[in-house]
Amino acid sequence: MASRFWTQGDSESEEEEEEVESEQGSDSDNGGGETGGRTVPQNRYLNNEDDSDESDTGHRVVRSLRDKRNEEMKSTVDQMRNAMKINDWVSLQESFEKLNKHLEKVVRVNESTKLPNMYIKALVLLEDFLAEALANKEAKKKMSSSNAKALNVMKQKLKKNNKQYEDLIQECREHPERFEDDDADGKDMDEEDEDSDAEIEDPEKIAMSESEEDDDDEDKDEDGPWEKKLSKKDKLMDKQLLKDPSEITWDIVDKKLKEIVASRGKKGTGRIERVEQLTFLTRVAKTPAQKLEILFHVISAQFDVNPSLLGHMPVNVWKKCVNNMLLVLDILQQYPNIVVDNSGEPDEKETQRGADYNGTIHVTGDLVAFLERLDSEFFKTLQCTDPYTKDYVQRLREEPLFLVVAQNVQDYLERVGNLKAAAKVALRRVELVYYKPQEVYDAMRKLAEQTEDSGENGDAEAGDEYQLADDNRGPPPFVVIPEVVPRKPTFPESIRSLMDGLMSLIYKYGDERTKARAMLCDIYHHAISDEFSVARDLLLMSHLQDGVQLMDISSQILFNRVMAQLGLCAFRAGLINEAHGCLTELYSTGRVKELLAQGVQQSRYHEKTPEQERLERRRQMPYHMHINLELLEATHLICAMLIEVPNMAASTYDKRRPMSKTFRRLLEVSERQTFVGPPENVRDHVMAATRALNKGDYQKAFNVINSLEIWKLLRNKEHVLEMLKLKIKEEALRTYLFAYSSCYESLSLNQLTTMFDLSEQHAHSIVSKMMMHEELHASWDQPTKCIIFHSVDQTRLQGLLFQMADKLSVLVESNERAYEARTGGTLEGVPPRRRGDGQDSSNMGRWQENFVSSQGRQGGNRFGYAGRGGGSGQGGGYQKDRGGQGSRGGYGGGSRFQDGRSRTQSGSSARGDGGARMVSLNRAGRV
Amino acid sequence: MGEHDLTALMAAQLDRHLVFPLLEFLQERQLYKDEEILEAKIRLLNGTNMVDYAMDIHKSLHGTEDVPADMVSRRAEVVARLRSLEEAAAPLVSFLQNPQLVQELRPDKQYNIHMLQERFQIGPDQIDALYHFAKFQFECGNYSGAADYLYQYRALCTNSDRSVSALWGKLAAEILMQNWDVALEELNRLKEIIDSKNFSSPLNQLQNRIWLMHWSLFIFFNHENGRNGIIDLFFQDRYLNAIQTNAHHLLRYLATAVVVNKRRRNMLRELIKVIQQEQHCYKDPITEFLECLYVNYDFDGAQKKLMECEQVILNDPFLGKRIQEGNFITVPLRDEFLENARLLIFETYCRIHRCIDIGMLSEKLNMSYDEAELWIMNLVKSSKLDARIDSVSGTLIMTTNHVNVHEQIIESLKNLNARTYMLGKNIVEPAQAAQQAAR
Repeated sequence: MASRFWTQGDSESEEEEEEVESEQGSDSDNGGGETGGRTVPQNRYLNNEDDSDESDTGHRVVRSLRDKRNEEMKSTVDQMRNAMKINDWVSLQESFEKLNKHLEKVVRVNESTKLPNMYIKALVLLEDFLAEALANKEAKKKMSSSNAKALNVMKQKLKKNNKQYEDLIQECREHPERFEDDDADGKDMDEEDEDSDAEIEDPEKIAMSESEEDDDDEDKDEDGPWEKKLSKKDKLMDKQLLKDPSEITWDIVDKKLKEIVASRGKKGTGRIERVEQLTFLTRVAKTPAQKLEILFHVISAQFDVNPSLLGHMPVNVWKKCVNNMLLVLDILQQYPNIVVDNSGEPDEKETQRGADYNGTIHVTGDLVAFLERLDSEFFKTLQCTDPYTKDYVQRLREEPLFLVVAQNVQDYLERVGNLKAAAKVALRRVELVYYKPQEVYDAMRKLAEQTEDSGENGDAEAGDEYQLADDNRGPPPFVVIPEVVPRKPTFPESIRSLMDGLMSLIYKYGDERTKARAMLCDIYHHAISDEFSVARDLLLMSHLQDGVQLMDISSQILFNRVMAQLGLCAFRAGLINEAHGCLTELYSTGRVKELLAQGVQQSRYHEKTPEQERLERRRQMPYHMHINLELLEATHLICAMLIEVPNMAASTYDKRRPMSKTFRRLLEVSERQTFVGPPENVRDHVMAATRALNKGDYQKAFNVINSLEIWKLLRNKEHVLEMLKLKIKEEALRTYLFAYSSCYESLSLNQLTTMFDLSEQHAHSIVSKMMMHEELHASWDQPTKCIIFHSVDQTRLQGLLFQMADKLSVLVESNERAYEARTGGTLEGVPPRRRGDGQDSSNMGRWQENFVSSQGRQGGNRFGYAGRGGGSGQGGGYQKDRGGQGSRGGYGGGSRFQDGRSRTQSGSSARGDGGARMVSLNRAGRV
Repeated sequence: MGEHDLTALMAAQLDRHLVFPLLEFLQERQLYKDEEILEAKIRLLNGTNMVDYAMDIHKSLHGTEDVPADMVSRRAEVVARLRSLEEAAAPLVSFLQNPQLVQELRPDKQYNIHMLQERFQIGPDQIDALYHFAKFQFECGNYSGAADYLYQYRALCTNSDRSVSALWGKLAAEILMQNWDVALEELNRLKEIIDSKNFSSPLNQLQNRIWLMHWSLFIFFNHENGRNGIIDLFFQDRYLNAIQTNAHHLLRYLATAVVVNKRRRNMLRELIKVIQQEQHCYKDPITEFLECLYVNYDFDGAQKKLMECEQVILNDPFLGKRIQEGNFITVPLRDEFLENARLLIFETYCRIHRCIDIGMLSEKLNMSYDEAELWIMNLVKSSKLDARIDSVSGTLIMTTNHVNVHEQIIESLKNLNARTYMLGKNIVEPAQAAQQAAR
C-alpha cells in the first residue's frame, strides 16, 4: 500500500482515504473534529485494538508529545545547518549523533516505522555537503586535524547509516517537494504511512505506549532521558503510595509492577534496587493473586542479582529467595483457587479479583523452574566456596532450608495434580540426599530439628531487618498471609524410606531423564549402603550403560560416580572381580578426577582452552559429595593385584591376556626402578604388596596393605581387612601353585595349610577348583591327602605350536566376522560364539523402556502397584481369581528386561570374563 | 519344618482352585496345624462358588452343625446366579449337546457364527453367556463341564482376550481333572500365544510367563515326559529371565529336574550360574547342594545339604508326590534325586582324585564297604568310570588320561580346518551360482 501511495499524487491519496473512510462507515465514531487524513489511519489502528474509548484522550496526548519530539529534531537539524555553514565537522558529528538519538524517540512517539521526512532531508543535505567537502581537496588540507578526523569519521558513519535508508534518500532526491519541511503536511504523510504499518505493529508495543500515555497524565517532567525518568518517578510514586495507602488501587500497583518489570535489563537500573522496589510492591499488593504475581517477579529479580554464570547468588539473597518461595506456597495453600501455570496468556485483569473471589485465577509462573534455579544456586555456592572454610560448613547447614521448600513445592504440586512437575522436584530432593549414608542423614535430621529454634531466631532476625527496612517505607502489608506451609523439614527415620518414597513417584511420573538420574541416584545409594546385589541388578536392568553415552555430561558424571561407588561396595563385600570390573574402566584413561568431576586434572599432552576449563569447573562436585580418590585407587589396585598376580604366575603355561593393563603398566614401571624405597603413596604400597605376593609371602603383602592410612575411612574396617587378608592368602596359594607346581612331584595338603594359614577345607576347595578348571594339572591322593602333580611340560616347539593355533583361530574368527558383516547372516554350522548373541540384535531395547521392568524387579513393597494393575487389566477371565489367600503383593517385572538378564548371566560367573563385561562403561566393540 | 515351604509364594501365582491340591498336601504332611489349613481352605473357598464344600469344612473345623448365615445366603445367591446363567446359555448349550448339529460346524469361525445366527438365532450374546456359564461352572468345581464348554467357546469366540482367558480356564480345569496329556497340549498352546502375542506392556507378558511356569509345575511333575519338558521350558531365555526377575523360588524345581534328568547334565553349568547369581535372593537346600558341589567343591557340605534336600523334597507338594505300591508308600522323585545326587558327588570327586579309599567312599555314599565296591564295579564295568580297584589296599585308583600334547594341537587345528572350510564354501557357492546364472 505504501508504494502505491508514493507513486500517486497527494490529492489522489486524499481521495482514496475518503473512500476508505466511507467503507468503514459506522465503525468510525470519532471522525468529527479531526481532519479526514489523520483520523482514518488512527481509527483503523484503534479498531484493531478494540479499544476506541480511550482513543480521544490518548490521541491528544500523543500529538503533543510528538510535536515536542519533532521540534527537538528540527532544532538539531538547524544546528547542523549552522555547522555546515562554518564547515565545523566536529560539531556536525555531534549533532548527527544527536539526530540519530532523536530519531529513535521520534519514531517511537510517532508509533510508526516510517522515518520523519526531516531526518531524510537532513541526511541528503549531509551527504551532499560531505561529497562537496571531499571533492574540495584543498579545503580538506587546510582543516585542523581534529576537524579532518571528524570529517573522516563522519564519512564512514554516514555511509553506514545511509545504507539503511538508501531508498528513501533516492526518493527524496527525485521528489524533493514531497519531503517539504511543512510540519502539518509532513505529519499527514507520516500518518498515511502509518496506515499501512499500523497493522503489523506489535500489540505489546501498543500496550507499552499506552501505559506511557497514562504516565504522562500523572507527572509532567517528561523531558529527561527515559532511564532517569523512571527512577525519579519511582520515588514520586512511592511517595504517592506512602501518602494515602487507602487510595492505592489495584491499577496503580499493577502499573507500577509493569513499569519495573519493563525496566529489566535496561541500563541504569540497579538489580538490587529492583528487588527492593518489587518487594515494596508486595506489601501494597491489593489481592492475594496480585501479591503472588509480584512475588514471582521478586523471585526472578532475585535470581537476576547475580548476572554471571560462574559466580553464585549472594547467600543472603538466596535466603530471602527461599523465604519468598515459602510465601508463595503460603498464598497458594491459603487460596486454592489461585492456579499457577505457564501455559496460556492469562487475562490481564485476572489478578484484580480479591480474596473472596471463588473462581480460579491464573497467575503466570513456574514453581519448578524457580526451585531448580534455587537448587543450582545452592550447588554453585558450594562449588565456589573453599571447602576448608567455615563458610562452607555454614552453607551446608542451610541444606534443610532448601529441602523444606522442595518438600512443600512437591506437596503443592501433588495436591494440584501436576505429578510430572512433582517428579522433577522429587529428583532434586533425591539428588540432595542420595550420597548420604544413614549416619550423615541422621546428623542432618538432627541438625534440622535443632536449628529449628536457633534457625527460627536467625530467620526472625533477618525477617525483622527486612521488616524494618520495609516499615520505614511502606504501610503494613495489605494482604496478610499467615504461615500455613511448614517451615521445618520432616524427615522419615531412615533415608531408605525417604528415597523409596521419592523414587516411586519419579518412576511413575518422571520423564526419561528424570527417571535415569533418579535410577542412578538410587543405585548409588544402594551401593553406599552395602547392598551390592540390589544395586547391580538395578543397574543391569535399567540398561543405563547402553545409553549413558547419549546422556548429558552431568548425568555421565553421575554414572561414573555410581560405578565408582559400586566398585567400592563390591570390594567391601569381598567381590573382587566385580569391584575390578567396575573400577577398571575409570582408571584405564588415567583421568579419574575429570571423570568423577572432583578437581581438574592437568594434562601434559594437550592444553585445554580456557573455555573448556571453565566448563569443567562448572561441573565440579562440591567437596562434601566427593568420593575419596585414594580409597578408590587403593581399591582398584588391590583388586587388580589380586586378579593379576595369579594370572601372571599362571601364564607360564600359556600366554594370557593381562586382565588389567593399567596394573601391568604400573608394575613394569616399578620394576624398572633400580632401588626401591619404602612405600609412600597408595601405588607404592600396592606395588610392594605385589612383589611380596609374587613370592607367595602373604603375610608381608598383607602387612604392607594394612599399613595404608585410608582404611580408617571404612565403616567396617575390621571386617574388610579380614576379608582382604583371606583373599590375599587365597591368591598367594594360587600363585604359589602356579609358579612352583613344576618343582613338585607331590605336595601335602598339610604343608599348604601351614604355609598359607588356611583351613584344610578351604585349601582343599581352592585346589579342587583349580583342578576342575584345569588350571592345575594335578589330582588328589585321598588316603594321604596329597596333591599329585602330573607332568605336562611342553617343549618349546609345542608351546610355539599352541601359540600358532591361537593366532590362527583369531584369524579365522575375524574372517568369519567379516563374512557375517558382509552378508548379514551367520555361518551355518558354526556354533554361536556367545550365549545371547542371537538375541542381542532384537533386544537392544532402549533403556528407557526398561525402567518399567526394573520396578517390577523390586517386587513386593515398592513397586507393587505395577504388577497389580497388569493382572486386573486382563478382564473378567480366570486371572482375576488367581492369588489364592491373602494379598498377592506386587509382582511386576518387565519382559524387556529379560534381555538384559541374558547378559547378566555371565555377570558373576566364577572367574574369568564375568564382572568385567557387566560393568563396562562403553561396550562398543564387545557383545 | 515349614522353613522351606513355598506354598505361600506359589499360591500367589496360582488360581484359587489350583491352590487346593497344595493345601491338601500340606494337610497330609501335617506341617501346619489342621485348623490353620482348614481356615485357609475356607478363606480360599470364599472366593469360589463351592459353598457346600466350604460349609462342610466349616463344620469339621468348628465341630458344629451350624453354618454361618452369610454362607447360607451366599449359597442361595450362587444357585440363583447359576440358574440365570444357565438360562442365558441354554440355547447354545442345547445346540452343542446335539451331536448332529455340532457336526455341522466347520473350521471356519465366521461361517459358524453366521450359521448359528441364521438358523438358531444364537448371537454373540449367547456365546458370551456360554463363557460366563463355563466360568461359573468352574467356580462351582464342575471342572469337566467347564472344560467342555470352554472348548466349545474357543471354537466360537472372536474376542482374542476372552479366548486367552478361556484357554487359561481350560488349562486349570484340565490340571484339576489330572488330564495331563490334554493339559500339556493346552499349556503349549498358551505358551505360543504368550510368546507371540504383542502384550500391551512387557510387564504383563512377564506376569503371564510366570503364571504359566507355576501352572506348568502341576503338569511337569506328573506327566511322564514332564522332566524334559520343564527343562526345555524353563531354560528358554525368556523364561529363565522371568524366573530371575520375579520367581526365584522356581529355581528349586528347575534344579531338581536337572539333577534327576541324566540326559540333561549339560544344563548343569548354566543352572549353577543362575543359582550363583540369585543366591542373595533365593536359597534352599537343593540349590545350596549344587553350589557346594560345583562352586566350592565342598564335598562334606554337599553331603550335609543332601540330607536336608530329602526333607525338602518330601515336604514339597510337587516333588514329594507319593505312589502307593502294595503296602509301601514311595516317593519316587526322592529316590531318584538321592541316587543321582550321589552319583554327581561321586563323579566330581573322582575327577579330582587319583586315589580314593573305598572305605571312606562307602561311608560317604551311605553304603557298606561291599555294597560300595559292587556299586563301583558296576560303574567301571559299564565304562562310566575309568578306574581300577586295588583291593589289597582297599583303594580306588583312577586312571588319569591326559590328552597328549600332540593331540591337543591337532584337535585345535582340526577345528580351524572345519571352520575355514565352511567359510570358503559359503563364499564360493553363491559366487558359483551367480556365475552360472550369468551364463
